[in-house]
Amino acid sequence: MLLLGPPLAFLLVVFVVPLARVVWGSVFAPDFTLAFYERMWRTPVYGRVFWITFKISVLTTGFAALLGYPAAYFLATVTPRTRQLLLLCVIVPFFLSVLVRNYVWIVLLQRTGLVNRLLSDWGLIRTPLDLMYNELGVLIAMVNMLLPYMIFPVLSALLAIPPELRQASASLGAPPARTFWRVTLPLSMPGVAAGGLLVFIVSLGFFITPALLGGPKQMMVSNLIEFSVRQVLNWPFAFALANTLLIGTLLLYAIYIRALEGRMPRTAGLP
Amino acid sequence: MRRRLARSLPRAALAVAGGSVLAFMVVPVLTVIPMSFSSSMTFELIPTVPGLTQYRRFFASPDWMQALGRSVQVAVGAMLVATVLGTLAALGLRRLATRSRRLLEAALIAPRIVPSVVFAVAAYYVFAAAGLVGTVAGLVLAHSVLAFPFVVVFVGSALHGLDPALEEASLSLGAGPVTTFARVTFPQIRLAVFGSALFAFNVSFDEVVVTLFISGVRAKTLPVKVWDAIFYEITPILPAISTVIIVASVAVLTPLLLVRRNTS
Repeated sequence: MLLLGPPLAFLLVVFVVPLARVVWGSVFAPDFTLAFYERMWRTPVYGRVFWITFKISVLTTGFAALLGYPAAYFLATVTPRTRQLLLLCVIVPFFLSVLVRNYVWIVLLQRTGLVNRLLSDWGLIRTPLDLMYNELGVLIAMVNMLLPYMIFPVLSALLAIPPELRQASASLGAPPARTFWRVTLPLSMPGVAAGGLLVFIVSLGFFITPALLGGPKQMMVSNLIEFSVRQVLNWPFAFALANTLLIGTLLLYAIYIRALEGRMPRTAGLP
Repeated sequence: MRRRLARSLPRAALAVAGGSVLAFMVVPVLTVIPMSFSSSMTFELIPTVPGLTQYRRFFASPDWMQALGRSVQVAVGAMLVATVLGTLAALGLRRLATRSRRLLEAALIAPRIVPSVVFAVAAYYVFAAAGLVGTVAGLVLAHSVLAFPFVVVFVGSALHGLDPALEEASLSLGAGPVTTFARVTFPQIRLAVFGSALFAFNVSFDEVVVTLFISGVRAKTLPVKVWDAIFYEITPILPAISTVIIVASVAVLTPLLLVRRNTS
């Protein structure tokens, strides 16, 4: 306990106490009230923000699974040496500044950006496409940034499948496609579930991407919190929003921990 | 022949699909590098006359240099605090029974799970009351919280691979706990400790959401100035600054990747 004392005291003062202040401030202003939560649920504008947050997170999770699974499967089939090398494509961007990566998407996706420039040079489009300040831009950037959270759990699930199972399936006469659908895919589903839950949890709290690549219609809960604090200075309302997001995230994290207890390495969402 | 084609076709398709996704992850961020060598005062995708104009503007600007210096200062502070506290926590966790260890470990990782904006609002409110908004000390404290879980995980996994018999032998031969740590335990986890220190530096150096709230107008870091510039700056200096940030991260983290490769 002597060793744990200083870190726990530090987290208590700098992390737990401020968060507790948020929870407290959302219901005591200064007398007990649920008015801020009521306002949050009763006002359609705010309901929409929660709905958009949910929708964007679900879509991001779905696309991350659709793109991440083939990538992980490919990584599982190459030799360990090649895999180490190719994994750099997943690890290195993950370590780079989130702000820079969002900025790059602005440069690429804006109306005069690289993507529109290339498409019109190739004669595929006449007028520039609207690739950002909308849901599309937010999704492209979010999927791009969250793919590692999907690829790593799926890859470790795939690598954990004993090759004998596939050989047995093949020697019993199943063509490769059937072996994939009946053996490999079901056995890798825990990895997809773990990755999906992780992507969804992280998506819920996204702030930078909707702020930079979304339009007014893509305001997510985090952006509404920032707006309430920095633009309109409505602290108790921001506290109520923050507390709702906090509880939702922690509940999902608890599910993640419980459901995957002992089955997945605990790495703080790190490769 | 046809059989072989039928078998290699799915493999090729898989390689193309998987390879495209990997390219999607790494190529976009790299496009900023050629853009940064633009000499023009207006934005161009592929520089007509390559040059270092934008880099000169960046390094000659006292404003930007002040932000860069502050970022480094904060990152070094956060690195020291997070590494010391995270290593202590990882060492302490090892002594606990499996069940309580797992619970406490999940709690210690919480700063990574709590959405940035939630912590940002909380820290902003409490730090404002304590006079810490707009100070380097406030930024060091907040960034340490965010970098701390990584240290716990990295050092924890290094400790997991240790043979406790070595420490027991040292203790039973009369070395005190401090000597045992310095002479037996630490040499074995040194790489993980230094690696997580570098990682902690990088977490702080790149942090933007919490910093946006608590840096005020007086203590803007490089990412916060970049954030402002994305909305207000029209000259193409940002690709150059982005490249500097990318190069800094790669320089800091390359040793970490090399260690990781040697150990895995």
